[in-house]
Amino acid sequence: MTTTELVSPTQGSGERGAGTAVEVSNLTKVYLHGPTAVDAINFEVRVGEIFGLLGPNGAGKTTTIKMITTLTPPTSGSIKVFGVDAAREPQKVRQMLGFVPQAISVDGDLTGYENLLIFAKLFFVDREERNTRIRAALDLFGLEDRADDLVKHYSGGMMRRLEIAQALVNRPRLLFLDEPSIGLDPYSRKQVIDHIRQLNKEFGTTILVTTHDMAEADELCDRLAIMNLGKIAVSGAPRDLKRSVGGDILTVGISGSIPDALPGELGSVVSAETGTLKILAVDGERAIPRITDFLERNGVVVESVSLSRPTLEDVFMKYTRTSLQQEGSFRDARSARRSIARHGR
Amino acid sequence: MSGIQRSVSSAFTIAEMEARKIRHDSTELWMRTVQPALWLLIFGEVFNAIRGLSPGGFSYMQYIAPGVLAQSVLFVAIFYGINIVWERDVGLLTKLLSTPSSRTSVVVGKALAAGVRGIFMGIMLFALALVIGVNLRFDPLDVAGVFLVVVLFAMCFSCLSMTLASFLKTRDRMMGIGQVITMPLFFASSAIYPISIMPGWLQVISKYNPLTYVVDAIRSMLLTGDYSGIPADTLVLLGTTVFFVFCASTMLKRLIE
Repeated sequence: MTTTELVSPTQGSGERGAGTAVEVSNLTKVYLHGPTAVDAINFEVRVGEIFGLLGPNGAGKTTTIKMITTLTPPTSGSIKVFGVDAAREPQKVRQMLGFVPQAISVDGDLTGYENLLIFAKLFFVDREERNTRIRAALDLFGLEDRADDLVKHYSGGMMRRLEIAQALVNRPRLLFLDEPSIGLDPYSRKQVIDHIRQLNKEFGTTILVTTHDMAEADELCDRLAIMNLGKIAVSGAPRDLKRSVGGDILTVGISGSIPDALPGELGSVVSAETGTLKILAVDGERAIPRITDFLERNGVVVESVSLSRPTLEDVFMKYTRTSLQQEGSFRDARSARRSIARHGR
Repeated sequence: MSGIQRSVSSAFTIAEMEARKIRHDSTELWMRTVQPALWLLIFGEVFNAIRGLSPGGFSYMQYIAPGVLAQSVLFVAIFYGINIVWERDVGLLTKLLSTPSSRTSVVVGKALAAGVRGIFMGIMLFALALVIGVNLRFDPLDVAGVFLVVVLFAMCFSCLSMTLASFLKTRDRMMGIGQVITMPLFFASSAIYPISIMPGWLQVISKYNPLTYVVDAIRSMLLTGDYSGIPADTLVLLGTTVFFVFCASTMLKRLIE
């Protein structure tokens, strides 16, 4: 994988120092009887931005978050959260951050109000301020009618919103969201995304979000890093990353054998499956006739051609040479739904 | 707030969480009172009829009431680790550990929560004793003392349970180990018969059994009014509790790694 060393075009723009919320250097985690989950990664999250950590299941995203939230110690490397060393002062670091784990983690046996109250107390939110903030958060997230119901009777989307409402009460400087929209229906998902954005805009909360949903990351993140096999393949702003793909994506429906190679000036093959060829080509509209012509001369029957602008999915494919493991994401969604069901017992 | 104040506040908040849950749904605790009720009503009643067993001049019912109380608290505490495993499975433990609270204050908070359950068992047993007319010393100070011992005892064994949970990690295994631990502890203590009538080897074991000291402390407050053994009992219990709090605090992170 030679492309792993590629540096994002936006890095080194001189915003380091006071503007850094998280600074991760050479972070590595090797599990005792397992593989290297995180392999010497470096990245920084700037104050006030929504930063995405993307990658397929097993890429090391959750492990990375667990290390930054001081839930598990790194094997080597260092983490600084607003300048505080996570290994030296874990409690001080935890005071500054909020964490929404992948599995729904609200307490089903308490009411919505109580969930917020208990965690406000655990974050030492001022007694005077506590109630006002809780009521405001419940109101803002549309949960005030259900505030005194046990959370196990909530829907999955409401549980997630309650978790994000916790962040509104505790006002962390940095909020971690591990796959926040997984297992939610499209409507709840949109609500959750909107609330995340709102937190970022209105309170200036720095947000670090992990997801395997490329479209969601594109929509939400100011900057992101794509992880694969414990390494960061590439990082940067979504727009720059997509531009770095270097052209448009042509999806060609074919029948017959797949050609061995494509002349360099026509474009490069991103993926080839039976019946479908994905080609990356500069100036896609003009490339269509030339590519069709080439393929037909080589005995391939072209049935359809469609053109699309690069997506983060294509960025991922370009830098990792693999496609996202779809079955992995299905498994995640299933386990998230199970976790919702468990809470709603 | 200083570090210690914060830790204490966190621990009490976690205990409050448990108390609120019990207020919403106490079905489990009500069901847990069935077993001690049976011990007292059936086992106690039947053995009461054997006049030979009247240790220290008390009726057998009086004698085993403190033992049954200790046993019911033991059960609540030793299975407390199952709650922790459950909370781990649903992601709640991760959430708790990502709060600014120290590991120790989370463990102490959970242990206090087990104590809250222990108090519930104590109230139920006192109520039962009153209803069926078991004559105990219901002096307010003694009762308060019993509750203190009960809380400490529940903390002690819930921490042992949390330590075990850190290694066993599943609810099924916790059920199993709970069964393995409770009965031997119960039989090798003075809960249902005096140590003096045990075979010699069992007497030796009973000396190392924390339950013996708990039963002794409760019995002296509720029955004999002889407080001479209480300092030693409390010291043993306190020492064991501190040890298990330490074990659980160090090991708890294994559950989320």
